[in-house]
Amino acid sequence: MENMKRFVFLILLFAASIGAGAQPGRAKGKPMHTVAKGVYEPFFRTATTMPVPVAAFRIDEYAVTNAEFIGFVKQNPAWRRSRVNRLFADKNYLHHWATDTTLAPADAKLLQAPVVSVSWFAAQAYSRWQGKRLPTVAEWELAGNGKPRNIRFDSLTDYILDWYKRPNPKVLPPVKSTYLNQYGLYDMHGLIWEWTFDFNSFVGSTDSRGNTTDEVQAFCAAGAVNVKDKTDYAGFMRYGYRGSLKGNFCIQNLGFRCAKSI
Amino acid sequence: MRFLTKFSQVRIGLLVTALSTSALLLSCQETGKDKPADTAAVDLNAPLTGTVTAELTDAPLVPKPLTYNTPKKVMVELEVIEKVMKISDDTEYTFWTFGGKVPGKFIRVRVGDLVDFTLKNAADSKVVHNIDLHAVNGPGGGAEATNVAPGQSANFQFRVLQPGLFVYHCATGPVGMHIANGMYGLILVEPAEGLPKVDREFYLMQGDFYTKGKFDEKGLQPFDEEKAIKEQADYVLFNGRVRSTTGKNALQANVGENVRLFVGNGGPNLISSFHAIGEIFDKVYMEGGSAVNHNVQTTLIPAGGSSTVEMSLQVPGVLNLVDHSIYRAFNKGAIAQIKVSGEENPAVFKSNK
Ligand SMILES: [Cu+2]
Repeated sequence: MENMKRFVFLILLFAASIGAGAQPGRAKGKPMHTVAKGVYEPFFRTATTMPVPVAAFRIDEYAVTNAEFIGFVKQNPAWRRSRVNRLFADKNYLHHWATDTTLAPADAKLLQAPVVSVSWFAAQAYSRWQGKRLPTVAEWELAGNGKPRNIRFDSLTDYILDWYKRPNPKVLPPVKSTYLNQYGLYDMHGLIWEWTFDFNSFVGSTDSRGNTTDEVQAFCAAGAVNVKDKTDYAGFMRYGYRGSLKGNFCIQNLGFRCAKSI
Repeated sequence: MRFLTKFSQVRIGLLVTALSTSALLLSCQETGKDKPADTAAVDLNAPLTGTVTAELTDAPLVPKPLTYNTPKKVMVELEVIEKVMKISDDTEYTFWTFGGKVPGKFIRVRVGDLVDFTLKNAADSKVVHNIDLHAVNGPGGGAEATNVAPGQSANFQFRVLQPGLFVYHCATGPVGMHIANGMYGLILVEPAEGLPKVDREFYLMQGDFYTKGKFDEKGLQPFDEEKAIKEQADYVLFNGRVRSTTGKNALQANVGENVRLFVGNGGPNLISSFHAIGEIFDKVYMEGGSAVNHNVQTTLIPAGGSSTVEMSLQVPGVLNLVDHSIYRAFNKGAIAQIKVSGEENPAVFKSNK
């Protein structure tokens, strides 16, 4: 069953990447920063999970914006809202846009806000078009753990939880509107959720959780015994959030940024 | 262990059906220890007799007693909504709710029903949610089948095998935080023959809340996980708000009436010593189960548990319903009221002042 799912997924992935145009449209100099090599401790501990060594990598300074994503769909018509295959993006795909390639004039301020309501497949296609890729969970968590540079608060966990506790704002603020961390990255927390390459263990083997039962239990009460750090509520919630996703989901607080190996 | 016991009951039920020997059924029930007859075997092979959509109500209202007496397919749909609401007159809190209020919608079904359950998570939710109904025999009480991202929904079905008053709650990690934010409600499973008729039914649910600011401190108060872990509640409330059920919002009843309260306790931490000041509970369905106790002054309601209490009202006045851990009632909000109207009844009570 799991193998079957993986197989179907790979076919979809292959099909989706054909959809992304051949000529990469690299955004001129969107800044990327290097995150030094490190070790990611999986949030949920099982007999099979080990700390994951992560090689140094580059990652976008801020999330992909609506303006940037408009550029992508203009050059890749297969990813326009009216044409996209439902297998790759559900009915909420880019539903905040006025047309296939524009925001409503009243929403002009959203141009510099992160693009949300995009599927994993769309994020993946965009990344490939940029000659980049999505960060893995391990990479994203390492980058997200970077110490805040320009704001003061007692703990990063408190800051993140404070964001989780507030309902989504009516209008999503622009990128670079929250905080900057030690790697030079903006908004790793406090603005949107972000896609990762291996958000769910059915994608490949970089994530060694594997066992679905264990995984499911991590965000049900029964799994609380195996959690690495029971006070890491924020980590718990990201874990649960990722576990609830499917590749074609388009959610109004979920966007992405790209990464690159060195 | 408990699960295994239930599992074997179902198996017995199946076996009985397969052989369809009434003699065997009788002997099975007779030797079924102290099991009430109505739970001995839900016939899983009996055809369902139609589909109904469950009436769902916000506290303090309760759906009408069920009028059908054969198993049906019951459609239930709940939407998780995260929303800022008043926890006190000048204090706000970001509640996470099943249906927009705390506690969540009251669900009423009958033993033997097949519940078709859909859980939606509102598109503008921040986080993932699910539901664990204590009335379910199955993985996580439904939690594993319903881990829903914002804007998505999930569906599962379960057969209602045992009568009682059951708590449901969100079981998404960190579970404590989801419950502390108000994610709980009650599902009543009526026994096959229904509950005895009463004049009025109400829905009350206690919960403890933990805020950065002290009790009644003004403004939007965020959840305080430190206090939650230390079990130092700022608020202990019935129906999610200070004064939710007092004064002009008090429950209304008349002298001579029989009143049934479906009382739940969502927790996350505290056990309730539920008490009516100036009344005695004629009947208490202990812990929401089938055993009935009589003439009870105070009944314990565990966190994640319930109690169904009944009382006949003899004299007019205001009945205060409290958690008799009494500082909670006077300093943290754990008080609700029934306004009893009608003629004085000096044979029962007379003030000689
Ligand atoms: Cu929840």
